[in-house]
Amino acid sequence: MPYDMKKQMWKKNRKGLLSAFPFIAPGLLLVCVFVLYPMFFTLRIAFSDYQIVKREITWAGIDNFVSVFTAQNSSFWYAFRNNFLYAIITTPCIIFLGMFFAFLINNLSKGRTIFKVGFYLPVITSWVIVGLVFQYLFNSSNRGLINYVIVDVLHLSKDYIPWLLREWTGNAAIWIMGIWKNTGWAMLIYTAALQGISMELYEAASLDGASSWQKFRGIVVPMIKPTTYFVLVNMVIGSFNVFLQVMLLTSGKPNGTTSVLQFLLYDKAFNQFKFGEASAIGLITTITIILLTVILNRGLKLDTVDKEETL
Amino acid sequence: MGKKVFKILSMFLAIILVLTSVVGCGSKDTSDETVTGSNNETTTEPTTEPTKEEEQITLTFWHTYGDGEEAQFKDVVLPMWEATHPNIKIEAVRQDGSQYHQMIVTAFGTGQTPDVARIDIVNTASYANQGGLVALNDFDGFDSSKANFLEGPLSTNLFRGNYYGLPLDTNCKAAVVNRNTLATIGLTEVPATLEEFLTAAEASEIPLISVSGVGDWDFYPYFWLFGGTLTDTEFKKASGYLDSQSSIDAMNKLVELNQNKVLTIKEVDGTADAWDGIKTGEYAMFFEGPWFFGSYEENLAQGIEAATIPTYNGRSASVVGGENIVIFEASKYKDASYEFLKFVTSEEVQLAMLDCGQIPVLKSLVSNEKVTGNPVWSIYMKQLESASARIPSPNHTEIGQVWSNAMTNIFVNHTEVTAELTNAAAQIDGLLAE
Repeated sequence: MPYDMKKQMWKKNRKGLLSAFPFIAPGLLLVCVFVLYPMFFTLRIAFSDYQIVKREITWAGIDNFVSVFTAQNSSFWYAFRNNFLYAIITTPCIIFLGMFFAFLINNLSKGRTIFKVGFYLPVITSWVIVGLVFQYLFNSSNRGLINYVIVDVLHLSKDYIPWLLREWTGNAAIWIMGIWKNTGWAMLIYTAALQGISMELYEAASLDGASSWQKFRGIVVPMIKPTTYFVLVNMVIGSFNVFLQVMLLTSGKPNGTTSVLQFLLYDKAFNQFKFGEASAIGLITTITIILLTVILNRGLKLDTVDKEETL
Repeated sequence: MGKKVFKILSMFLAIILVLTSVVGCGSKDTSDETVTGSNNETTTEPTTEPTKEEEQITLTFWHTYGDGEEAQFKDVVLPMWEATHPNIKIEAVRQDGSQYHQMIVTAFGTGQTPDVARIDIVNTASYANQGGLVALNDFDGFDSSKANFLEGPLSTNLFRGNYYGLPLDTNCKAAVVNRNTLATIGLTEVPATLEEFLTAAEASEIPLISVSGVGDWDFYPYFWLFGGTLTDTEFKKASGYLDSQSSIDAMNKLVELNQNKVLTIKEVDGTADAWDGIKTGEYAMFFEGPWFFGSYEENLAQGIEAATIPTYNGRSASVVGGENIVIFEASKYKDASYEFLKFVTSEEVQLAMLDCGQIPVLKSLVSNEKVTGNPVWSIYMKQLESASARIPSPNHTEIGQVWSNAMTNIFVNHTEVTAELTNAAAQIDGLLAE
C-alpha cells in the first residue's frame, strides 16, 4: 500500500477513534477500575503472600497453589470434583427439562403466560428464601417433607436421613436446588427459540403422520440446536460459580465433601485471611472455565454454527 | 456547528462521569475537620473543655447492638460522653451482625476500618494477628486499669503477650428450664446435679435436653460438663487433652445420651428448635445466653426460668461469650479512641448498658445490687465462675471446623470416638503451632 494511502487511512481511523473516545471512555475506565485492575491484582496475589492489613505483598512463587493442592485436610479436590459433578448432573437435566416444558407450553392454546410465569418464578425468587425452603424439605427428621414421605408415608427406610450432613445426599440436595432454580431460565430461552421454528414444518410432519414425540425429536431438537449450545455453555460456566446453594444448605459439611470452589475461596479469604490461597483458587477456577469453554467450542464446533446458519 | 456542539457536550458529559467515578471510588476522609498527623501520631488531647474548632474530631464506632441496646447507647451513653468530651464526636454505626466479620475484613482491605469497634471476642486474636489492632499495653494507666476487669473476659484480648482490646460486655450459657416439663418427670425443683436430672429423665420417651448443633459455641459446654478438655491451660497443645481418657469418656457419654434420646441435637436429629421446644414444653432444659429472656415475667408465667447449669461429678461448665472493644491500627486518633474505650468500660456506662441486658465486665460490679437483684443477670454472673473461653487463636475458625467435622463424624456417621478425637487433636496441634 502506498505511503500516502496509509497516512490517509490512519488519519481517517484516528478521527473515528477520537470521535468514539468520549463515548467509550467512561465504560472503559469503569472496566479498567472494576474488572481489569482487580483481575491483575488477583493474579499477582495468587503468587504472593498477601498481608491485607499491612498491605504487604511478598512474592511466594507457587506456594499458594502447592498449599491449596496438598495441605492436610484441604477440601480443594472435593470442591473441584463437586463443581464438575454439578456441571455434569445439572446441565443435562436443566437443558432437557427447559426444552421439554418450553415445548409443552408452546403447544398450549391457552394459559401460556401463566405457565411461563410459574416456571420462571424460581429464577426470580430470592436464593435465601429458596435456601430456607430446601432446608425444611431436607430436614433430618420427619419435620422435613422428604423424610416424612420416605419414612412415615412410604416406609422405605426405618431411620430418618440427615440429608444435609452426608456427602452424597448433601450434594444431591445442592444439585436439585440448582436444577429447580435454573430450569425456568432455560425454559424461557427455549420458548423464544421455538417461536422461530416455521409452522410449516409441523404441518408437513402432521401430514406425514408424525406423533408429538416424533415432532419433538425430529423438528424441535435439531432446529433449536444453537440455542441448546448457548444454554449448555452458560450452564457449564455457571456451574463453576455455584456458591449460594452450598453456603445456604451445607456450608461444605461434612468435612468439606460438599464444598465447591467459590465457597472454598470465600472461606479461605474471609474466615482464614489466606488471600493468596483464595486468589489461587480463583485463578484455577478461571483457567478451568477457559479450558472448558474452548473444549466445548471445539467439541461442539460452536464457532462454525453461526456460519453454517448464515449459509 | 451543531455537530461540534454535540461533540463538546458529549466530551463534557464523559469527563463529568469519569470524575464522578473517580471521586466516588476515592478514599473516605474519616475526619470532620482539619486534624493533622500521621497514622502513628495522636493529634488531639482528650479534654473536658471545648477547644478550637479545628481540634474537633470524629471517631467512627462500629457495633452490632440490637434495637434496645442501640437506643440505650444513643440516648443515654452518648449524651454522657458528649457532656464530658465536647470536642470528640462519636459516629456510632450499626452494622449487620451476620456479615460483620466479613465487613471488617473488607474494611481491612480497603483501609476503611473504623477507629473503634465492638467485636466478637473470638475474632480479637485473628485481627491482632493480621496487625489490624492497636496493642493497648503502652497507653497510660492500662496496666493499673486491667486489674479492674473480670479475668475471663479480659483474657480474650490477650495475644502474644499484648492486650489488643478491652472487654466490653460478657455473657455465657446458663440453663433455661421449663418447670412444667420438669414436673412431668417428677422434678418439682430445678435439679442441682445432672445425675439427678438424668435419672429422672430415664422415664421420658422424648428427648428433654436440646442443643442446636455440634459447633464449638453450642457443644463445648456439654463436652466440658461431662469432663472433657480441649487443650492445656496455655492453649498450646490439644494432644493429650482432647484425646485423653476423660475427654473420650465425656464424648462417649454424650453419644450415649443422644442415642438414648435424652439429648437431642437439632442439626443432626432434625428436632424442634430449642427456643420453640422449651416454650411448647417439649424440652425440659437447654443452655442459652441471657438474650433468651426478653421479658422474664412472661417466661416465668410459662414456667420458664434461668438456672445455673446442673453439676456433673460435682462441677458445672459453660462457655464464655461477649464482645471486646478494640482500636484499629488505621485510626488517626488512637489516644482519643483509648479515651473512648476507658469511658465505655467505666462503671457508670457499664451500669447504664446493663439496663438493656449487657452484662458488665468489671469486678466491682459483680456484687452490685443491680446485678444481684436481677433474677437473670445474677444467674449468669454466677455461671460465669465456671465458664471457660474457647481457644483464643488466630486460627479459631479452622479449629472450630476441625471440631465440627469430628462431631459430625461421631454423631452422624457414628465413627469411633477415640480415633476421631485423636485425629482432631493432631489437627488442632498443627493449627495452634502456626
